[in-house]
Amino acid sequence: MRVTLNWLREFVDIDIDAEKLVELLNFSGTKVESVRTPGDDLHGVVVAEVLNIEEHPNADSLTLVDVRTDGEEQRVVCGARNFSVGDRVPLARVGARLPGMDITERKIRGQVSRGMLCSGAELGVSRDHSGILVLPPDAELGADVVPTLGLDDTLLELEITLNRPDCMSVLGVAREVAALTGQTLRRSESKFDTPTDVGSPVKVAIEDSQACPRYLVRYIEGAKIGPSPQWMATRLLACGVRPISNVVDVTNYVLLELGHPMHAFDADKVANQAIVVRRARKGERFTTLDGVERDLHRDDLLITDGAKPIGLAGIMGGEATEVSESTSNVILESAYFDPDTIAFTARRQNLRTEASARFERGMDVEMAPVAAARAAQLMSELAGGRVSATVLDEHAKRLERVKVRLRPSRTDKLLGISIPPAEQAERLRSIEMEVSDAAGALDVLVPAFRPDVTREVDLIEEVGRLHGFQELPSTLPRGAAGGLERYQRAERKLRQVLADLGVFEAVTASLISPEDVEKLGLDESNPTRRMVEVANPMVEDERAMRTTLLPSLLRAVALNRSQRSQGVGLFEIARIYEPTNEALPQEGLVLAGAFSGLRREQEWTGAARPWDFFRVKGVLEAAFEGLGLGPPGFVPASGMPFHPTRAATVSLGSAPLGALGELHPDVCERFDVAERTLVFELSLAPVFEDLPERVQLQEPSRFPAAYIDMAVVVDDAVAASKVGDVIARAGAPEVVSVRLFDVYRGEQVGDGMKSLAFALELRVEGRTMTDDEALQVRDRILPALQERTGGTIRA
Amino acid sequence: MSDAEMRQNLERARREGLEAIDAATDMASLEDARIKVLGRKAPLSRARSGLRDVPEEQRRELGRVANDVTAEINRAIAAKEKTFMATETAERWEREAIDVTLPGEAPPIATVHPLTKTIWDIVDVFVGLGYRVAEGPEVELSTYIFDALNMPPSHPARSSQATFFIKSSGEEVLLRSETSPVQIRTMESQEPPVYVVCPGRVYRRDTQDATHLSGFMQIEGLAVDEGVTMADLKGSLEHFAREIFGRSLEVRLRPHFFPFTEPSAELDVLCFKCRGSGCRMCKQEGWIEVLGCGMVDPHLLEWVGYDPARYSGFAFGMGVERICMLAHGVSDIRMLWDNDVRVLDQFKGGAT
Repeated sequence: MRVTLNWLREFVDIDIDAEKLVELLNFSGTKVESVRTPGDDLHGVVVAEVLNIEEHPNADSLTLVDVRTDGEEQRVVCGARNFSVGDRVPLARVGARLPGMDITERKIRGQVSRGMLCSGAELGVSRDHSGILVLPPDAELGADVVPTLGLDDTLLELEITLNRPDCMSVLGVAREVAALTGQTLRRSESKFDTPTDVGSPVKVAIEDSQACPRYLVRYIEGAKIGPSPQWMATRLLACGVRPISNVVDVTNYVLLELGHPMHAFDADKVANQAIVVRRARKGERFTTLDGVERDLHRDDLLITDGAKPIGLAGIMGGEATEVSESTSNVILESAYFDPDTIAFTARRQNLRTEASARFERGMDVEMAPVAAARAAQLMSELAGGRVSATVLDEHAKRLERVKVRLRPSRTDKLLGISIPPAEQAERLRSIEMEVSDAAGALDVLVPAFRPDVTREVDLIEEVGRLHGFQELPSTLPRGAAGGLERYQRAERKLRQVLADLGVFEAVTASLISPEDVEKLGLDESNPTRRMVEVANPMVEDERAMRTTLLPSLLRAVALNRSQRSQGVGLFEIARIYEPTNEALPQEGLVLAGAFSGLRREQEWTGAARPWDFFRVKGVLEAAFEGLGLGPPGFVPASGMPFHPTRAATVSLGSAPLGALGELHPDVCERFDVAERTLVFELSLAPVFEDLPERVQLQEPSRFPAAYIDMAVVVDDAVAASKVGDVIARAGAPEVVSVRLFDVYRGEQVGDGMKSLAFALELRVEGRTMTDDEALQVRDRILPALQERTGGTIRA
Repeated sequence: MSDAEMRQNLERARREGLEAIDAATDMASLEDARIKVLGRKAPLSRARSGLRDVPEEQRRELGRVANDVTAEINRAIAAKEKTFMATETAERWEREAIDVTLPGEAPPIATVHPLTKTIWDIVDVFVGLGYRVAEGPEVELSTYIFDALNMPPSHPARSSQATFFIKSSGEEVLLRSETSPVQIRTMESQEPPVYVVCPGRVYRRDTQDATHLSGFMQIEGLAVDEGVTMADLKGSLEHFAREIFGRSLEVRLRPHFFPFTEPSAELDVLCFKCRGSGCRMCKQEGWIEVLGCGMVDPHLLEWVGYDPARYSGFAFGMGVERICMLAHGVSDIRMLWDNDVRVLDQFKGGAT
């Protein structure tokens, strides 16, 4: 919403500078987004009179124009022909500055041009580039065009919040300014003599008084359609409205000034000159003046001529009854429509206008006659129309003003500051609330232009914002026992540990495309392929709530690959959304990772180390250890999206968590990531359920342990973890740790065999374990190994 | 052997012994010299054994001389040994020297995401004020997003222009456009006092640009208790803003509108780049809008079954990306969601 300072001054005296005004408005809730004076960008453009126009000798499209300012004559080259000798035009003299342009003396096709005649667009007063802006004949020669065109006015761009339709007008903002500066608001009183000989042939009927409580018509006869005067055009343009013609511009001007949307119909195109306000009928169609033919809904409110629609109530008029150059008689509509009715229609028709934006927030029903009178007055002045004295005011349903009681003590209690009741009453009166005392409370009659104020708390807000939030003290509430839950702390630690292990945390979007999931090549029956979909996605690629983080992470890996990174490890902790039979999907937290290329580049201390299965597995194991959890279990797995022989399911205790593995080469190709990219995805709910209690210290034994190594030769197909398990079980309780430290395949163990070397730590309770005892345990393990794994001890 | 001869021998043994030791050039030749000078066949040893034949009355005196000579030679050896050991140690240090300017073998280290860090920073401020962290569904019932939050069916946020609806849910299920339903669910599940912050993902049908994404992160807070005032809101948020953006920062509370708070306000901080004079960062305004807030609307308290006459509260909400971008000078929101390691890598530092 834009207003100009001079326009505001017509309603309220402003004796503070713009900076102070901005501060006051900001602190009142009407935020000023920008302040600018358009004329500040124009220097050296003056009013000149055209003395002579002749053809440019070397260019058909150009003319040579002699112009006169006060006593000085210039010749300029000009490309437009829309003016005549004697017209007054804006001349940018040599040395003038315009936005993006410095005027110098220059030759155009061999002819010297000392300056430039300006179009409205060049001066920022219109969007018209095609011709020179012709100024009023009384413009003073040689005068700066900035004041002539009203460009010395300061323009405020305001953010009007949804609850304040009353501030969507110069009058409304002026009312705020008056309240904030202690000035008195000057109302617009439109008094003009109406000729008595003009009748009003119009009839009005309201069929739905709930949707249209009031419909008022003024009839204007014999208007001459033409352009609006410059002052009005300049103001409209400053406020972002394109001037069209005097009659249409008047409705727009009054809309900006008083905030009340009105519509002008060409009376001669309205059949029978009858207005009937009703809901649309099933299957009814209507072409609005933007040229769009619209299918109407039965809840849409229409202005009709009794038979066919002529306007979409409160939103836009019809093409067929639009005011045009040939219009002479005008039906001026000034009505009040139900906010929700307008809101739903605007949404259904996807049609938002200055009018609908105001009606759907709630207009001032009492403003209808005032705005109509003001518009009629301007039409009479600017278009020479004669206004009928008859005011057709169908007031089908009276809207009562709201009465609210305010307890000043309640204000103090909610705001945390003490404001004397007298001041509270005064603050409310300053914004035209009618306040009366009522035994320790204030009874407040709310004006019709404040639909947002219906409850005591709304009045407290008014008192608070006018008193100023900057006056509030800064205190703290008493608070409660705060802190993070154990699982929340664990989630933080998990992120930090993974990051500390060299894996970057990624954050990727939850909305993905099912096609991305398809790329994983999962089985038809895999539940990951069933996703919750959005009915109205922004783009098709973001239409489903993800059931896996892998596609997004692989996309990030691909992005980093395209940036020529040597390698990347990424993890993400986020929700997946699994469809259920209930209204809402199941949202579960998962941890996923994707790893590609080098983990470490070559260093002087060692060779390059790529991400591989065991490095990623090691990261997971370290992370689980960091959470105080036992090591996760890994069991060989196959199936997409994994490499058939390089993947494992991951579990914690008896709870399955997910899987880890190298991606299938086909999947790598589909996601444009390097071969041997690895991923994992684990459900975190079982992890957080299993979090250990606080660490309980085990005192280290005072007696030294015994250490022995065992190299076990087994068939290559035997899983290392099985061998380790057998050693641990058969060696219990003396064997307290089993660590695999070497795997050997080769001549010495024979084809199809491997040697697994384990380091064992052995202890006995309360004393030192002897070497002999250790060897006895070893001898106990050997038959178990032989029996359960076919393993033998390598000499 | 005469007394004089004896003395002469001892003197010679002393002189020759000291010379031999002095002539040693390293530990090995010193050992040779020691054997030669103090060994069984050395002149000194022979002289000492000759003492047996000396008469009793002279033996004591000569014995003393012999001891002195032995002690002197031992001292000379010890001194020499010390010199040689110092040299040898020095040589070892020289041999074992390393180039400490060679790169260290640092384990690879990465970082949590800047948005995560931002959430942690904000959460920590409020945990310090006695808050807990609450979470709730992202795919949410319309009731919890709109009805409970005072947004009637005609509210613009309820349109399919603004909000993502779930397919075939009859506009009853949607992607939450703010984390506020978590506040409602929290209040439904417990009695006051309630002090919670709710971080999480939210979704809006915004066209992607440098400051908008259709899915982003938000963090909201709620305090409901007896006697909570707007002054409490101001004090809490001033504390928050200064903890996040700088201790001496100027903060202002500016009236605004939200359907779920009354009165409502926005919190601005003085632009920390230009300190109020106007720059690109603050769009020439001198102030930067940080969050929206207000006193919980009585409608919400009634909705969850709290007595608005007894309890009051405040709520606030902010975009995590916005806070992160302001705090770290990030100009394009998409940089935070691209996961380009060249961007992430820069966040290794910082207090958390």
